[in-house]
Amino acid sequence: MLKVINLVKRYGRFTAVDNLSMEISEGQIYGFVGANGAGKTTTMKIIAGLLQPTSGEVIIDGINIFDSPRTVKRKIGYMPDFFGVYDDLKVDEYMDFYAGIYGIPYRDRKRITDQLLELVDLSEKKDFYVDSLSRGMKQRLCLARSLINDPKLLILDEPASGLDPKARVEIKGILRELKNMRKTVLISSHILPELAELCTAIGIIDKGKMVASGTVEEIMDKLAGMRKLKVKVKENTENAVRLLQEQPSIKGIRINGNIIEADFKGDDNILSLILKRLVLQDIPVISYTLEGESLESIFMHLIEKNGSESYDA
Amino acid sequence: MMLNPILEKDLKTKMRSWRTFVLLSLYLAFLGGVLYLYFLSNNIMFDIYGYSTFNPRIAVNAYNVIAMFQFSLLALIVPALTSTAISGERERQTLDLLLCSGISTLSIIMGKLLVSVANIMLLVVASLPILGMVFLFGGISFWEVLLMFLYYIITAFMAASLGIFLSVTFRKNVTAIIASYICFAILAVGPVIALFIWGVFFGRNYSGEITYGFIAKFLFPSPGFGFISFLAGGHSSMFGFGSLVNEINNFIERDPSWLRHFKPWMLNSIFNIVFSCFLIYLSAWKLNPIKKRKRK
Ligand SMILES: Nc1ncnc2c1ncn2[C@@H]1O[C@H](COP(=O)(O)OP(=O)(O)OP(=O)(O)O)[C@@H](O)[C@H]1O
Ligand SMILES: [Mg+2]
Repeated sequence: MLKVINLVKRYGRFTAVDNLSMEISEGQIYGFVGANGAGKTTTMKIIAGLLQPTSGEVIIDGINIFDSPRTVKRKIGYMPDFFGVYDDLKVDEYMDFYAGIYGIPYRDRKRITDQLLELVDLSEKKDFYVDSLSRGMKQRLCLARSLINDPKLLILDEPASGLDPKARVEIKGILRELKNMRKTVLISSHILPELAELCTAIGIIDKGKMVASGTVEEIMDKLAGMRKLKVKVKENTENAVRLLQEQPSIKGIRINGNIIEADFKGDDNILSLILKRLVLQDIPVISYTLEGESLESIFMHLIEKNGSESYDA
Repeated sequence: MMLNPILEKDLKTKMRSWRTFVLLSLYLAFLGGVLYLYFLSNNIMFDIYGYSTFNPRIAVNAYNVIAMFQFSLLALIVPALTSTAISGERERQTLDLLLCSGISTLSIIMGKLLVSVANIMLLVVASLPILGMVFLFGGISFWEVLLMFLYYIITAFMAASLGIFLSVTFRKNVTAIIASYICFAILAVGPVIALFIWGVFFGRNYSGEITYGFIAKFLFPSPGFGFISFLAGGHSSMFGFGSLVNEINNFIERDPSWLRHFKPWMLNSIFNIVFSCFLIYLSAWKLNPIKKRKRK
């Protein structure tokens, strides 16, 4: 869906985005994580066709944005980190205006607007002036606006920044719904836990460079190395321990009653293979879980140099 | 058929904003006030020189005064209306929301431009009753007035394009407003100064005849030059433009070249239209964040 190849953006001698590549396939929720000033907004603006990169390619739905920017932009929904509203418009007029901007015919506008306002839970505010909405509501309105052209790719730049916890939860709820709608989403944040549960893939950017990317599990494997495998058996603990000790991907083993804790390093295939072997040995496994290191600590580990985190932009 | 969405929205919000009505009221009050003062001063003249009957010459002069005031007022209003069009969107942080939509930058520019032209038309049309009163007495034909309004619109269009171009160029509202007043002033007065400088340095050695065509080559970009066409001539009067206008008309008639057939307003309008198109195109190009890349 989205392919970014060797993107570079320089401001004078300062390099904001440094040879960054990424790929997002359809239906993915891609979390774009990095500290303040890492280059998230710059990258997203380039993808949204708002900024000319120094070099590099952006291909969306098979079309290079620099070949036909307007065609590509029609397929994108973009929500900037900072945005303004026209204070002299009512909520439904606001949506109607952007529907016009996207060339949606008059007869379809009301239906689309109603649907989206329903999605972001602003139906009751339809006749209110945009100016009178709370910050969280404006943010939701902007999210609805970014969906008005039924975009194939949604680019959300810190959609929950500057909001109180309750408003954050509301935004998350909407994002979960978008996930159910199988939208492809690129979402940025400088706070990892905010994204961890939502995303199918994550890219970590630091000083303009992509330092790690992949599915959430892949990143955890790659960065954390060891993870804790917890196996709970009904009986036959000794057999289970012996079998686990034979596996090359398992290092240390601790036994705690009928719970076996093992240090594991490997991917999902190996993990399922081990379970299969346990079952084939007639070992009655009750539970089999892999406990990962939290994304937050991975992240901190990754960007130790500028590890201090500030929460609001 | 879809209306330009920016035009549609701005017209809607403008028409229900109190600012539009304040502007309109002030504008009409000002024109009315000038007219009133003019007639008042003439009344005093009547008393001094002892005219006893109504004098249509005075109405012609009143028409000239009003038309001139209106033209200068518009020149003051248009830059203020247009030079915040884009920089205002930028300051309000709504510009990116337009630019990421894939709407052409030309549509954005045209939308903004048409809004300001519509605004000017509102002012001009609303002032019709005031001017109408003057024409009634002044013997100005309906067509002459219509032509003058056409010229107003064309000039407003050029001024609006200039304002919008500067609004694209400068990021801040204030800078854009100041720049557009400066540029408009240069456009209006610059050609006159150029002609003057020419006169000082080369005038002495110039052997050819100073014709209308010659002067027009200097002055054609200036709105003031174009506007001269709409001053009403008349019998020479004590004060006012009547005789001056007649002089000018004779001067134009005397030009031997084909330029004789082009009144100042026509030359200026041609310039305005060409210049506007250039500015619009340039604005749209500048506003576009991504320049299309040629395939290697
Ligand atoms: N117009 C500009 N001119 C010069 N430098 C810029 C410009 N825009 C951004 N930068 C620099 O580029 C770097 C990346 O900025 P960017 O806004 O992309 O960071 P970010 O990851 O979005 O940060 P945040 O989490 O604070 O939103 C910053 O160091 C910033 O100072
Ligand atoms: Mg940012």
